[in-house]
Amino acid sequence: MIEDDVYRTSSQYRLWSYTNASLQSLRATTNDVASQRVRAAIQRVGEAHLSATPSTSGTPQPGSDGETRKPDDKKIECLTPEEELVLVTYYCEKTLELGDEYKPPLPTMVRATAIQYLRRFYLTNSPMTYHPKDIMACALFLATKTDNYYMSLRQFAAGVPGGPSEEKVIAPEFLIMQGLRFTFDVRHPFRGLEGGVMELSAIAQGEGQAAPHMPSETPQELQRALLAIAPHPTPSSSIADRIGRAHGATRELLKSAAQMTDVYFLYTPSQIWMAAFLLADRPLAEFYLDTKLGGPLTQTTESNQNNLQNPLYELRTKLLQVISDCAALLHAYTSLSSDPDQMKSLKRIAKKLYHCQNPEKVNLKRDLAQPPASATDSAAASETESERLAKKRKLEEQKRSTNDMFGPELVADRTKH
Amino acid sequence: MASNIGIDRRDEDEVCPVCKSSRYLNPNMRFLINPECYHKMCESCVDRIFSSGPSSCPVAGCRKTLRKNRFRAQTFEDIGVEREVDIRRRVMHILNRREEEFDGKRAYDDFLEQREEIIANLVSRSDVAKTEAQLQKYATENMASIRTNQKIEEQEATSFHARISLEQEEARMRRQLAREELENERREMHAGREDFLSRLAAGTSSDAASIARESHKVQLRKSSARHSEQDRLRQKQAALRGSELKRGTNLSSVENAGPSDTGLIKGLRKIKTPEPEKPYDPFMGYLPEKRDYVTLQQSYPSQYLDRLRKSTQAAAGGFDLREYYSRTLMEAFAGLGCFVEEEIAERDANRSASAANEGAAMAAVDL
Amino acid sequence: MAVSPFASRSPSVTVSSPNAALRLRAAAAQNASGPLATAKSVHHTDRELTEQLNDDVRRKYVKDKRLGEGTYAIVYLGYLRDKPSSYVAIKKIKVNAEYKDGLTMDAIREVKYLQELSHPNVIALHDVFSSKDQNLNLMLIKEADIHYGVAEVKAWMGMLARGVWFCHENFVLHRDIKPNNLLIASDGEVKLADFGLARSFADPYLNMTHQVITRWYRPPELLYGARQYSGAVDVWSMGMVFAELLLRIPFLAGNTDVDQVTKICEALGTPTEENWPGVSELPNYLPPDTHHPLQGRDFFLRMFPTAGPVGCDLLMSMCTLDPRKRTTAVQALRHSWWTVEPRPTRNEDLPQKPGTKKMGEDLGRRGERSMTGCLKMQRDNWTLVL
Repeated sequence: MIEDDVYRTSSQYRLWSYTNASLQSLRATTNDVASQRVRAAIQRVGEAHLSATPSTSGTPQPGSDGETRKPDDKKIECLTPEEELVLVTYYCEKTLELGDEYKPPLPTMVRATAIQYLRRFYLTNSPMTYHPKDIMACALFLATKTDNYYMSLRQFAAGVPGGPSEEKVIAPEFLIMQGLRFTFDVRHPFRGLEGGVMELSAIAQGEGQAAPHMPSETPQELQRALLAIAPHPTPSSSIADRIGRAHGATRELLKSAAQMTDVYFLYTPSQIWMAAFLLADRPLAEFYLDTKLGGPLTQTTESNQNNLQNPLYELRTKLLQVISDCAALLHAYTSLSSDPDQMKSLKRIAKKLYHCQNPEKVNLKRDLAQPPASATDSAAASETESERLAKKRKLEEQKRSTNDMFGPELVADRTKH
Repeated sequence: MASNIGIDRRDEDEVCPVCKSSRYLNPNMRFLINPECYHKMCESCVDRIFSSGPSSCPVAGCRKTLRKNRFRAQTFEDIGVEREVDIRRRVMHILNRREEEFDGKRAYDDFLEQREEIIANLVSRSDVAKTEAQLQKYATENMASIRTNQKIEEQEATSFHARISLEQEEARMRRQLAREELENERREMHAGREDFLSRLAAGTSSDAASIARESHKVQLRKSSARHSEQDRLRQKQAALRGSELKRGTNLSSVENAGPSDTGLIKGLRKIKTPEPEKPYDPFMGYLPEKRDYVTLQQSYPSQYLDRLRKSTQAAAGGFDLREYYSRTLMEAFAGLGCFVEEEIAERDANRSASAANEGAAMAAVDL
Repeated sequence: MAVSPFASRSPSVTVSSPNAALRLRAAAAQNASGPLATAKSVHHTDRELTEQLNDDVRRKYVKDKRLGEGTYAIVYLGYLRDKPSSYVAIKKIKVNAEYKDGLTMDAIREVKYLQELSHPNVIALHDVFSSKDQNLNLMLIKEADIHYGVAEVKAWMGMLARGVWFCHENFVLHRDIKPNNLLIASDGEVKLADFGLARSFADPYLNMTHQVITRWYRPPELLYGARQYSGAVDVWSMGMVFAELLLRIPFLAGNTDVDQVTKICEALGTPTEENWPGVSELPNYLPPDTHHPLQGRDFFLRMFPTAGPVGCDLLMSMCTLDPRKRTTAVQALRHSWWTVEPRPTRNEDLPQKPGTKKMGEDLGRRGERSMTGCLKMQRDNWTLVL
């Protein structure tokens, strides 16, 4: 099909489509690499701290300093790939909320793009390395730029709860772009839904055109068939009303469940909106597919033989399976913040993350904005990198009691009022 | 023509070296030469001596055998020039390789130089036997290529003339068309008006409007008939052009046969049989506006779009809702039949297979 | 629909293949298990996957001489380290000290759209990498040896129209079509380049900026401040390039935006509600002082005799004032001009160096003159863009 070949040229298909297995294995690899680094880094920081103390004689003596982490004694517990995913999903939900902070609220498309940026970024980066709270705002700002909804950084930063500095917001931009492999285009299911609804409305008014591979259907036949579909559990006054309702319900699913699950990695945008449409109004969705690919086998018993060899029929069978799988994934989603159990486990993950964050990546801005070799001031120049980091970490540890689960909260505080 | 004038201006007391008769006595006397020896004699001497078959040149000391059919009028006054031009024509007729047959500019230049040398040898009569033998050998070995190139040269000459006459013919047709159209229009308008007036005069006043409308319709019909007349003429022109085009293709597709290098000429390009040129496809094999899932319509019902449909400003800016229809319905189905799980698994398998091969190759190098 | 049968991208740098990721992990594990290094070298070896990959990409290319500089980028000639005969253009995005909002829109647009478009007449993006100062570098293909020579207008326009049509089929407006943004690869192929102003289009109720397209190539609807427009804007630019190729000088070269409108009116006719319904409602519309009648076929035939009547018909359809009446890219490609005599020059026959191409005797002088015209233009392209 020509439309399918068009999609195959997109970077989303070429670089960001996965099988279930390859997606899991990529996340496992990323998690594995990050965990090893976290352990090594924490060890280095500890040792650097020890060697900087005059009393030690070169060989590190575990347990000699009460304040230093003891990596050899106590195994550092890192996040699992599943825990990382929950964390990222939480920040995807936060991104959606962050979009509401602006007047007017950021367009759905911009927010969805930002969420997909986050999801793509965390396929090859771990939240243990880069905390999502630092990445989230910048991903949203980048999405305003790539989706032609341009606002100044100043304006944008002012909308972010907690009022981070402009520099802090923009600091990880390059890092994100690198993680996105410099592909900024995200193919969303929203526009496709509009097209489908438009065409269904035309059919409902008796103005529908037969699909290229079903040339014998007349507008009247199409309209008659549409009016004859099985009723929806919730009755509607007219077919236009029914289409309109399915349209709205589908849009909601695409804004939420489609963004928070892995469907963008595993399916194509047209499959995603069809799946959401199927959840919204199954008979309507099936009717629409039938206008494109022909009805089920039983409808035309006379030409059974032909249908068996019909490539469209084959495509239809396969497609229905794929769309049902996708629909199941969408259906299974419930928002984290609305589920107390999930929030509880999230808090646990957040606590765990606090202990296993890579100490060498904590200060993103310093790490990214300056070339590693150049030092900013004379005081810093006399210190080694690790020493400074160790100090910083200690300072943060002292502040620990005052912090809630993700350090200074970005969104949760604000969205309450 | 120029040569005739030249002959006419010659001295009246010119004398035939063979029969010694002079132009003074015979004003119609014509002198002929034979490129074998370039000795000049009068037409009646040629008739007399050579009519019964080949014979030797009557000029004292020349023993060349001459044939009557080779005699011709002299073009250049200087017999030396006449001879050189003849030699040049003959050599170039044989050594007629074209620039595109050579590997490069340099090879072609070398060829041109070599040809000049051969001509110079023949003109100055040095190494004549050897040079003639070379030429003869080349001619027999490369007969096909020589003939092909001769044909191309001829076609180039004729296509130039054809183009000029085509342009003249087109211009003529355009003028004629314009004339006829003007004439027709004037005639019809005149006739139409008369008809209109007479009907108005005959009918009642309430019919006036309908009669006027009808007469306008007639005018329109006539003008569309004129348009089809124009089309016919245009087709004629296209046909003219088409036949010209055909000649052009023949020209380029002439088989270029023969050995790629000859004993005599170096640096000839290896000959590839040229593929027949396909017609120019502006879309390069793409299928413009073709869809598999959707038959695009000119308009779709949508309340959401109604406000935009009424916006003069959007319309004046060129905003085109058909682009929106096209895009949404492309995105509605783009990738519907892409089975990611299946296709990506296959792709990854291929990738890791090729990566494994690469690895094996590198390992081999390491050993 | 436009699917490139020629889609041949260089394998882009990815971390998606499990193999690559595993290989790098192995390297990282080695570092970790080895003897402890000093703090400095630790920092060096303990680098992120993406950083390592970035360096790999960067090391693939060698930057050669500087070719030109635009408003937001410097372009260098470069080649593959492994294969010095392969030429690429390296476009280095300047970091604008004034602009504090991260990567500039131009760079983002260029990268975004070039990643999606794969067509022989659209410049190919090979790689993106950052150098120390975090400037972006785009790798644009330039293919083999550079010898620019004459191209014939039809062959050039054909390739330009294909490139524009492909963009429009993928719902991308270029919005800066001009001779300087048309690159000629060594095989003669014209490549549409510089997507710094590109954007996707066709969404209703979304305003777009009218401050796009270099003035001489800007269509009247943008000069009148239209915020909702279509592919017709690129088609106008294409018409201006067509006219320039025929004339050997820019067709309508206004000094200011107002002057540009005046020049368009003088040359092609004054827009009115009759010939362009709704024009007076465009935001920046100014009622004209004088009225020039709309130019017809005769004007084009007189002004562009070399194009011939069929070519003039195409040019005229691209230069139509009312964007709705203007031809579209796909209609332009369906025009009969492409198939009437003369046939567009084949790419391999587009001459390589001035003078080496022998024109047919019959074309004589006329051919020579056009050669010099084209050559000059191409040299300009060269210094400015490639």
